[in-house]
Amino acid sequence: MHTHVDPQTKAIVNRLHQLPDEMQPPCDWQEFQRRAQHRSSVRTKRLNGTQLAVVALALVIVVVGVVMWNRTDKSVPTTVNTAAERMQSLDAASTAARAQAIENWLATLPQEPVVVRVGTRAAVAGLEDRIAQVDDLLTSVQLEGARPDGVVALQRERARLVGSLAQVRYAEVMAALTP
Amino acid sequence: MNKSPFILTVAALLMANGGALAPGAALAADEAPASNRIYVADGPPATTGSGASDLDAKLAAARLRLEQAAHEVAELATQMGEPVLEKFMISGKGAPRAVIGVQLDTDSGKDGARIREVSPGGPAAEAGLRAGDVIVAINGTDVMGEESARQVVHLMHDVAPESKVKVRILREGKPGDFIITTRPGMGFRTGGIFGPHELPGPLAFQFGPHGDLPFSPPMMIHGPLADMELVTLTPQLGRYFGTDKGVLVVRASREQGYKLEEGDVILAIDGRQPTSGSHATRILSSYQPGEKIAIRLMRQHKMVNVEATLPDRLEPEHKVHLMPKDDAPT
Repeated sequence: MHTHVDPQTKAIVNRLHQLPDEMQPPCDWQEFQRRAQHRSSVRTKRLNGTQLAVVALALVIVVVGVVMWNRTDKSVPTTVNTAAERMQSLDAASTAARAQAIENWLATLPQEPVVVRVGTRAAVAGLEDRIAQVDDLLTSVQLEGARPDGVVALQRERARLVGSLAQVRYAEVMAALTP
Repeated sequence: MNKSPFILTVAALLMANGGALAPGAALAADEAPASNRIYVADGPPATTGSGASDLDAKLAAARLRLEQAAHEVAELATQMGEPVLEKFMISGKGAPRAVIGVQLDTDSGKDGARIREVSPGGPAAEAGLRAGDVIVAINGTDVMGEESARQVVHLMHDVAPESKVKVRILREGKPGDFIITTRPGMGFRTGGIFGPHELPGPLAFQFGPHGDLPFSPPMMIHGPLADMELVTLTPQLGRYFGTDKGVLVVRASREQGYKLEEGDVILAIDGRQPTSGSHATRILSSYQPGEKIAIRLMRQHKMVNVEATLPDRLEPEHKVHLMPKDDAPT
């Protein structure tokens, strides 16, 4: 038990002891209800005001949006489309360039090693046949006016297959070079 | 046949042709010239007593692992592309469509259909066609004039897979004739990512010459058959083995019951005559898992027929059993 209490604490404790056991209500029940109803009424009015403000703001946004859309509907989408097309075109060009570099390397290899390991050759043949099918398909879809994204997807797929073919052929060449 | 003299002979004949042996085409160490010693990739080095030999063996083993990883790359790459191709192609059994492996310039001029891309390792590349060549005739039919690329595609619809197509081209203005052996491929889907209204015209994604749509799964061979090694017969090898056609087996599986032997010359697989190791592989890959195949061999200067059942491609450990069927007269 503490024996030493500082004067300030002692003063607070004394005042707490002087408080009555039960606080008297500041007003009677009717007055309490009246005040409660009043607060509720004010809150409702404020809420309606907020909602109105939100609706008004939304209307403003819509109106401004429509105005902006009408003013820019010819220029903005065209710009976006042009940029997208340009990106798509660059992407396709980059993909084609990578594939071409790999194909140039593949062209320096003999059609098959002197000793053919059946498992590896089957893997090579599978990729070669798939690429050939994609090439034939690309001719057909372009003749039929396919959407550019479809053509780009096929070109990307072709580039990926050519890359994989190069990896398998590299491994085949390395195996053939084993002393 | 005594294995060591056979392998030495094959090696000598290949060396005489300027070829190089791959791992597995093993020479017995004490019989091979030092400069030509070859190690089996998964076995001990043929020369002993030096650290360099150990490193050689480790390098060979690492390259074998690289090769095995490459198989996985091929398998995964073909699987990954299927969702894209499924939008355009239809899988299923049916008559296959002839593939030549070229991308044509759809804006080709009136002189013919200009080849924009040649598929690496594809039928056209194998025949010797190059990007920039201009196709002016298919099987004797001119394709010059308007929409020459469309004409080529149209003519190809009447060509059966695995048949020979005579193609006349202009290369730097000079004419040349090439024979392309087409390969089977999938049919094209009508629709896919394109709306039906976007597919007008007679060429629109036809279903192959017989109206049915084929699809061959990616060619992958697992198990003992994958380890088999083949050499295209050269004239010198042909004289030694008593035949001028076929593909020589220089390494057969060590599995029991697998009856192809080193020194066998594969003359035909179900009547199809392989012209190279790649061709033999393609023929073997064209069968469905579990199918039986009849192989005609030249073994020790005698013709032998064997029958094999292909394993399930999805089970790498599945075994191939080739059983001798009968001995054919020489």
